[in-house]
Amino acid sequence: MLKINNIKKSYNKKKILNNISLTVNEGEIALFLGSSGVGKSTLLRILNNLETIDNGTFYLDGKLLDLNQVNKTHTVGMVFQHFNLFDHLTVEQNIMLPLEKILKKSAPDAHKITEQLLTRYGLLDKKNKYALQLSGGQKQRLAIARTLAMEPKIICLDEPTSALDPVLTSFVANNIQQLATDGYIVLVATHDTDLIKKLNCTIYLMREGSIIETAQSQALQNNPEQFPYIKSFIAGHE
Amino acid sequence: MIIDFNLIIQHLPFLLQGILVTLQIAAFGCCIGLLLGTVLALFQTSNNSFLRILVNSYVVIIRGTPMLIQVFSAYFLLPQIGIHIPALWTAILAIGLNSAAYISQIIRSGILSINTGQIEAAKVLGFSTTDTIRYIILPQALRTTLPSLGNEFVTLIKDSSLASLIGVNELTKQANFIKSKTFDAITVYFAVAILYLIMTSTISFLVSRLEKRMNNYAQD
Repeated sequence: MLKINNIKKSYNKKKILNNISLTVNEGEIALFLGSSGVGKSTLLRILNNLETIDNGTFYLDGKLLDLNQVNKTHTVGMVFQHFNLFDHLTVEQNIMLPLEKILKKSAPDAHKITEQLLTRYGLLDKKNKYALQLSGGQKQRLAIARTLAMEPKIICLDEPTSALDPVLTSFVANNIQQLATDGYIVLVATHDTDLIKKLNCTIYLMREGSIIETAQSQALQNNPEQFPYIKSFIAGHE
Repeated sequence: MIIDFNLIIQHLPFLLQGILVTLQIAAFGCCIGLLLGTVLALFQTSNNSFLRILVNSYVVIIRGTPMLIQVFSAYFLLPQIGIHIPALWTAILAIGLNSAAYISQIIRSGILSINTGQIEAAKVLGFSTTDTIRYIILPQALRTTLPSLGNEFVTLIKDSSLASLIGVNELTKQANFIKSKTFDAITVYFAVAILYLIMTSTISFLVSRLEKRMNNYAQD
C-alpha cells in the first residue's frame, strides 16, 4: 500500500502541489486528471526522485519511503510521456543494459528476462531494431517492459496517451489495466478524458495543485451528476 | 614541365620516412586530444563551477594563442622545468594539448545535444552518474560529433607540420631537406601537398565509413 501524505511543492513561490494526500493499494490505479500545469506530473516526478519535495511523506507498506534511495532500490518505475528510450541501443539492449549493469544479472539471465518481456509485449520480432525505428505504440510498450524489468512495486505513467495516435488509447488502457491486475501500484497522470473511460481506477481531479474531486471510475460512469467537477472537465468546461 | 616527377620518385623513400613520423605525431596527438578532450568536456558540463572555470580558461588560452607559439613554448619551457624529452614527444604533447581544447568543445556540444529525458530515464532505472556517462551519454555524444571529430583529426595531420620548426623530421621537414638540396621548391612542395592530401582524404573516408556504420540506428 502506498500512502501519500500532505505533499507540498512550490516553484518560485507558486504552489504546484498543495497538501496532496491519498492511499493506493496493490492492484489499484490512481489516475490524476487535470489540465497541463496542475501538478500531476510533478507528483510522479517527486516520487521518482526527479524533483525535490518541500514537504510531505510517502509510506510504502507502512515504511517511510526514502526518496533519495528509490532509484537505487528500484522501488518505483516511470514510463515517461516521450518514453525516453536509449536511442543508440536496440530494443533488446534497452532492457538488457539495466538488467546487466544495474541489477547485475548474468548475460543468460538478462537475456531470458528480456525475451520474456519482449514476448509479452509483442516486441520479440523487433528486438534487433533500434528504439528510434519503432512506432509510438511500440516505443511505449518497450518503455513499460524496460520499467518492469527492474521489478518495481510502483509504476508511474506520465501522460501515457499524449504522444500516441488516439486510436491506440484502448491498447494503452489494456496495458495499464494489466499492470494493476498483475499487482503493481499504478499511478497515472493524464489529461486524456478518453483514457479514464477505459480504466477501472480512482480518479483524482486536480486543479492548482490540489485534489478537488475524487471518483471511482465505475461510480462516475453510473452517476456522473454526483461528480460535477469531473463531469465538467470531461465536457471540456473546466 | 614545372613538376619534375623523376625527382619525386627518386626522393619518395625519404618522404615516406617523414610520413611515418607525421602519422606518429598525428596518432599520439589524437589519443591525447581525444582522452583529455573528453575529460575536459565532462568537467565543463559538470555542476562543479571550479572545474568549469578551469576548463573554460584552458580553452580560452589554447584557442586564443597561435599553435606555433604553443609548440615553441613547450620546446623551450619543458627543459627549464626539468623535463627533458625528445623533440618528437614535445611536438606530440603540444599538438595533443592543443587538440584537446578543440575536441573538448566538440564533445561538449555532443553531450549537450542528448535529450535530458534519457538521462532522467537512466536515473530512474538506477544508473549512477558514472554509469550514465559511460553507457548513455558518451556513446551518443561521440556518435553525433563524429563528423566534427573527423575534421579535427584532419586538422591534426596538417598541424603536425609545425613540428618541423623544432627539428622533428616529419614530412614537411624532409621536404625542406630535399628543397635545400635540389632547389626545386615547386616540385617538392607539390609532392608534399599530394601526400598530405592522400593522408587527410584517407582519414575523411574512414571517418565517413565509421559514421555511416555507427549511425545506422538513426536510419529507418
